[in-house]
Amino acid sequence: MSQTKHIEVDQDFIENLCDEFGNREGTVVQILQRIQEKYGYVPADALDMIGEYLEIPKSKMYGVLTFYSQFYREPRGKYVLKICVGTACHVRGAGLLVDKVKEELKIEPGENTEDMLFTLEPVSCLGSCALAPMAMVTDTAYGKLSPDKMLGLIKDLESEHLSASEPA
Amino acid sequence: MLTEVLEDSSLQLEERSSLPVIHIGMATCGLASGAKALHELILKEVASRNLAVKVVPTGCIGMCHNEPLVDITMPGKNRVSYRNVKPNTLTQILDAHFNKNEFAKKYAVCQIPVPGAEPFAGLPLMQEIPFFKGQVKIVSKRCGMIDPLSIDDYIAMDGYAALRKVLSSMTPEQVIDEVTKSGLRGRGGGGFPTGVKWNLTRKAPGPEKYVVCNADEGDPGAFMDRSVLEGDPHSVIEGMILAAFAVGHARKGYIYCRAEYPLAIKRLQKAINDARERNFLGDNILGSDLSFDLEIKEGAGAYVCGEETALLASLMGERGMPWPKPPFPAQKGVWGKPSVINNVETLANIGHIILGGGEWYASYGSEKTKGTKTFALTGSIKNTGLIEVPAGTPLREIVFSIGGGMVEKKIPFKAAQLGGPSGGCIPTSGLDTPVDFENVVSAGAIMGSGGIVVMDEAACIVDTAKFFLKFTQDESCGECTPCRVGSKIMLDILTRITEGKGQEGDLDELVRLSMYIKSNSLCGLGGAAPNPVLSTIRYFREEYEAHIRDKRCPGTVCNDLIKYVVIEEDCTTCGLCEPVCPSGSVTWEKGEVAHIDLTTCIRCKACVDACKFRAII
Repeated sequence: MSQTKHIEVDQDFIENLCDEFGNREGTVVQILQRIQEKYGYVPADALDMIGEYLEIPKSKMYGVLTFYSQFYREPRGKYVLKICVGTACHVRGAGLLVDKVKEELKIEPGENTEDMLFTLEPVSCLGSCALAPMAMVTDTAYGKLSPDKMLGLIKDLESEHLSASEPA
Repeated sequence: MLTEVLEDSSLQLEERSSLPVIHIGMATCGLASGAKALHELILKEVASRNLAVKVVPTGCIGMCHNEPLVDITMPGKNRVSYRNVKPNTLTQILDAHFNKNEFAKKYAVCQIPVPGAEPFAGLPLMQEIPFFKGQVKIVSKRCGMIDPLSIDDYIAMDGYAALRKVLSSMTPEQVIDEVTKSGLRGRGGGGFPTGVKWNLTRKAPGPEKYVVCNADEGDPGAFMDRSVLEGDPHSVIEGMILAAFAVGHARKGYIYCRAEYPLAIKRLQKAINDARERNFLGDNILGSDLSFDLEIKEGAGAYVCGEETALLASLMGERGMPWPKPPFPAQKGVWGKPSVINNVETLANIGHIILGGGEWYASYGSEKTKGTKTFALTGSIKNTGLIEVPAGTPLREIVFSIGGGMVEKKIPFKAAQLGGPSGGCIPTSGLDTPVDFENVVSAGAIMGSGGIVVMDEAACIVDTAKFFLKFTQDESCGECTPCRVGSKIMLDILTRITEGKGQEGDLDELVRLSMYIKSNSLCGLGGAAPNPVLSTIRYFREEYEAHIRDKRCPGTVCNDLIKYVVIEEDCTTCGLCEPVCPSGSVTWEKGEVAHIDLTTCIRCKACVDACKFRAII
């Protein structure tokens, strides 16, 4: 896995967040969700700042952060390939999709490609079992996939990225 | 049966509209099949043809295998439903309706009756086609029919009528009475009588109470709640308001929804905003003394949070760890106050029960499980999707009539997995089991929240058991040892068996561990974790033994046990295996039995999966 640089956390953003949520009970999960929404992951610095500001012990912040599978402590790729590995997708070949991505992008589940374009993330049931096997990329669902279609999807995303980064 | 319900629901929407209406299924299943691009195309076509029509996105009507679905309703005519609509078929469909005043027979599935409208000749009615025959739609009756983003659509189909009725003419006790009479039991899988739960919360001391909706539908293979949230979000909101009224004027409610359902969350939020605007939520609802508001709490990916006490912990911003009961949430729930927690489907039923009456609801279903139940029907069957049937409908009818039987004609039924990671497998001999809470338990599974995954002979039972155990083992919160360590040891044994390293005595050890974990775990997750293993050992002992003694996987799934040999008698010389081989190890000539060169074979299983006759083992 490539070593990725962590970003600088915006102090004002954290303070505003604390002001918004800080005086309400039980909002740690929501605060972490908001940080992740902004940065794509939860930087350790952000966690420390909030802990200090709201006087929540570090142990508790980390406890909550590490309990949930959808909080990430490392930066992630632009496109997170969420491949459903629920029952229906499993019996219809979700494993083959995961293998294809591993082979094509040379990454293991949970890892990013070196250019930070893709992250491979097998996820629990996405609830579109009738169209198994399926995957979701930035909230768009793709059904009835095959290893070849998965490959096509990766190519499409690559060209989407290229055309977006080209100067107009 | 469906006719009755449909007429009762009276599709006033089309009646009201003098314009033709084009409905397009845009739930997650529709979107995953390309509904978004199709929707854009419809808008473009409508503009270029200069048509005066209404284009309405809807939720899921249940026929996910036919997505994307497009329905066309011409004024005065029945609504025609089209399946697997592609750009080129769309033009033919529009031509037929708008240029020739007929329908496109080739792509039509059925016609949905519109009261007072003229039927089309030569097209079956919705209730006549096998998928819908035998279904009774109560909780899902609006899904796929209305625009889930429109509160007016909801109101036009009796939406918020139950709330008006309750606020104008019923006491909280009468509401609880009606729910108790209906026999409704927790649809999340627990099966606890809803009326009793409400009454417990009502009787709990203290003025501050909460209503919580459990929308953390985590069972893999289950998407009933997603369909309701995406297709009819107001029904859940109305159910929660009615619960708030019944348990003693709760002022605040939470919907705990899993983060894997981004579309459901979006639609719920819109529905909440609209309901506030019309004063169905907020202070002094519709001029009454009931004040109630809702907040969505998004999950962060933890299956155990579907367990009610873990859900509450998570809702309060903690690690989602369950606590031992008592105290029950009805006594001490959110912020330590009495709280009622109901599943999405349970809550979405309430409005219908209040309007139709408890007795009417209880007239459906079996002796101990009243009403209807939705199921997510998936796996190796033809018609995958969301169905709603009276409780007690035999499994055979669900799989073979509604589900249309097996997807591969030559590969027969092996088992149906019910109840997800807490459930079990029911084999051919159990096909006549009536699907309700009690009978499914006797058959070795649980009805659960409603996931039915059908497996054919090409599936491996040991692999399936391993799959579920791996799931629960991953999701174990780690609080109690039987679940945390016990499930790991069981998984290790199962993994060994699928790798061809099984030993005599493994099965006895699995059963022993299962019993221990079941009786000593803290919450329902651990208590039910061994079920998939126990039920499969009960019915498919020989298949386990084939793995352990003969080092053979009858379903040809376990990679380490496949020999990559072509069985001459079974090979039809079709040649499908040859082109899929990436290493060129399969040789085949027309009319000849295929051959695999094991010295170059990389054991990728492509040929095994390609063979429709299961001739490669």
